[in-house]
Amino acid sequence: MRQSIVLGWLKDAWEIATSELKRIFSDGGVVLIFFVAGMIYPLLYNIVYINGILEDTPLAVVDMADCSASRRYIREVDATRETKIAARCTTMEEAEKLMQERKVKGILYFPADFGDNLAAMRQATVGVYCDMSSFLYYKNALMAVNHVMLSEHVQIQIERYAKAGFTDQEAAQLVQGLPYGENNPYNAAFSYSIFLVSAILLIIVQQTLFYGMSLLVGTVREKNHQYASLPPHLQGRGVGRVIFGRGSAYWLVYMGIAIYVAFIVPAIFGLPQRGNFWDILLLLAIFVTDCVFFSMVWSSFITRRESVFLLFLFMSPICLFLTGASWPSFAIPGFWKVFSYLLPSTFAVQAYLNMSVAGGGLTSAISQLNCLFLQMNIYLVLAFVAYYVEDWIFLHKDRIRSHRDQLDAKLGIDRQKMRSIIEG
Amino acid sequence: MGFWKDIRAVIQREIMILANRPLYWMGTIVTMAFCMVFCLTFFRDGLPHDLPIAVVDNDNSSLSRNFIRQLNATQLGESVRFQTFADARLAMQSGKVTSIIVLPEGLSRQVQAQRQPRIEYYLNGLYFVGGALAYKDILMMINLANGAYQREVLRMKGYSDDAIMGMIQPIIVDTHQIGNAYTNYGYYLNNILLPGFLELIIIIVMIYSIGTELKYGTSKQLMKVAGNSVVKALLGKVFVATIAFTILGVILVLTLYHWMHFPIAGSIGNMFLDIFLLVLASEAVGITLIGFLPVPRLALSIGALYSVLAFSLSGFTMPLEAMSPWIQGLGAAFPLRHYYLFYVQEVVFGAGFAGWWKEVVYLLIFLLVPLVILPRLKNAFIFQNYPKD
Repeated sequence: MRQSIVLGWLKDAWEIATSELKRIFSDGGVVLIFFVAGMIYPLLYNIVYINGILEDTPLAVVDMADCSASRRYIREVDATRETKIAARCTTMEEAEKLMQERKVKGILYFPADFGDNLAAMRQATVGVYCDMSSFLYYKNALMAVNHVMLSEHVQIQIERYAKAGFTDQEAAQLVQGLPYGENNPYNAAFSYSIFLVSAILLIIVQQTLFYGMSLLVGTVREKNHQYASLPPHLQGRGVGRVIFGRGSAYWLVYMGIAIYVAFIVPAIFGLPQRGNFWDILLLLAIFVTDCVFFSMVWSSFITRRESVFLLFLFMSPICLFLTGASWPSFAIPGFWKVFSYLLPSTFAVQAYLNMSVAGGGLTSAISQLNCLFLQMNIYLVLAFVAYYVEDWIFLHKDRIRSHRDQLDAKLGIDRQKMRSIIEG
Repeated sequence: MGFWKDIRAVIQREIMILANRPLYWMGTIVTMAFCMVFCLTFFRDGLPHDLPIAVVDNDNSSLSRNFIRQLNATQLGESVRFQTFADARLAMQSGKVTSIIVLPEGLSRQVQAQRQPRIEYYLNGLYFVGGALAYKDILMMINLANGAYQREVLRMKGYSDDAIMGMIQPIIVDTHQIGNAYTNYGYYLNNILLPGFLELIIIIVMIYSIGTELKYGTSKQLMKVAGNSVVKALLGKVFVATIAFTILGVILVLTLYHWMHFPIAGSIGNMFLDIFLLVLASEAVGITLIGFLPVPRLALSIGALYSVLAFSLSGFTMPLEAMSPWIQGLGAAFPLRHYYLFYVQEVVFGAGFAGWWKEVVYLLIFLLVPLVILPRLKNAFIFQNYPKD
């Protein structure tokens, strides 16, 4: 008797899973989102950000000093990776015009007393004017000018200490009193593609799964007016096998896509893969399961096939900001921090960056994995609730409709007339 | 005469549809309101502050403690002490700290003996803004420390403070940020992110609004109301949409430049023009997509891909010139790209008409594109001969 219950449960789940798989593969729209979008999106973002580094930002120079020191400074700024000198102007107006015409993205200004101040051992000023329309222009101009400033300091200081009667060694010890070493192990050149594309990858997994499932759910609801239909012979029970059966269909499909996105795509484009294969596979297994339950819960709000795009498309860019990969999580306001815990991507992207790109191993992502696991269980419970509620609404459809009609009558709304105007 | 009457009939029908489908309200006003609240509160700080920087102090001297106090005093950074480098590294790999500074053992002693002790720092460039800002902070701190050390030595030798400054800081870089004097990320990102969300909403809603007519077979009725003219049918639909989206756009521009006081070098009136053109061009894109692919799900999928990609290809974060040449060309096919270039001229440089007239022309060209698909859309409206799912 006991055995037959277990077997019956599995048999139901198996039937639900296979029929769901059939549904997925026979729906052109879902196939488009799962396989075409899920496969092509990661490639597309890699192609868009393929260089990842902005080099040789054009600057204009206004050199009122025209001395050997300013000329050397200009040569060195030109030689940096970040910037190049694209124009030499005689007045600020001329340079400003070039910047407004976007031929240059910054201006380097040497006042007339630049050389005199240096010769008199006073402080000399160099002005930088940055186009803030993209912060990368600003970052490049600032880095180039400051790095040259620091290296010029060493040169000038050694000359000055020599003049003041210090020996060469004393001067060197003073100027480089605290030498430093810079290490940027995970993203040596602050490449845009390494951080951004790595963060986008798992968001694509989550969003395409959600859109695809919502599309399917919306279609079924449109046709039979119920998606979460429980097997009729169980009389309102059996939610477990519906969720398990249906979920495993999506899980199977999406583990394949997630493996492609997290392992194969970075390999194609040479993104860093420093993680242990099994660690990341564990992350993907939890993440995909979480995404399946997440999509089941949130797709309960989708009643028509296409409405998911109207209601939730804007969330894709927002998911990215909430991960903390671009805007630091330390600066995210408390409310949005709590909001970000609703999304699997928040934890999964961080875990993926820590384990796969930074090569930190399981310990570096343990708190994210724990959160993801907890979130998965909460969404599982919510999925049960959502399915029960939908089943209840379906069974009490007539009563709800009559309530609505009463309300319409009170408010004087004539739906029949409206429909005839719209549909003819 | 009949022209205006038909259009008025289409408009009336359109209003009826809006009244009947709360989905449109959710997809436009509620969505835009959410995006505005999100963006305007999310970047509230403008510039992040007190980013955690791990410090491994192997020296434990008054000098190293002083260094840490100075680091805490900067606005950008906040030190977090770690006993061993291994712990600090794990914290950095876990994203809990932005960077690590290692103060070597014997730092104080070696400085006094002028033996040039070496400070190593490590950055996590995967959490981008945090890493880059911590980098800036650490570099500044180390150079300040170096300067302080030189100052001590020079004071002992009897130099005046003026002369000392000339010695330790011979060149000062004086930075001017045109258009965003406080390096405020909120100003920088929201100026384009929010119009980007508006573009996304418009494209999706236009496709959906025309797509559902095809899908539920109501397009025949639409054509009947419009006197069997696809031009009149679209004009009526676009009229209602334009009014709704222009109101949203105007509220957006007012919020940014009037109520929130985002810096603007030019005039807010010209930004009304910019957002109005963005509304029209985005509607044109939506109509074109559903015209080319009169299958709602296909057009919506392509529209979703297109409008999310617009954020990247407008070039306001990663500039387009850093991308491959063919991607740069592709950028021109996004209204948001032209909105951004218009904005740079008006808001950043205050250049006025001479600066942005070309972008107006480009945005207006978008309005011609739907003409290509009108016959196809008319056939689709009348014969409804495309898959509906």
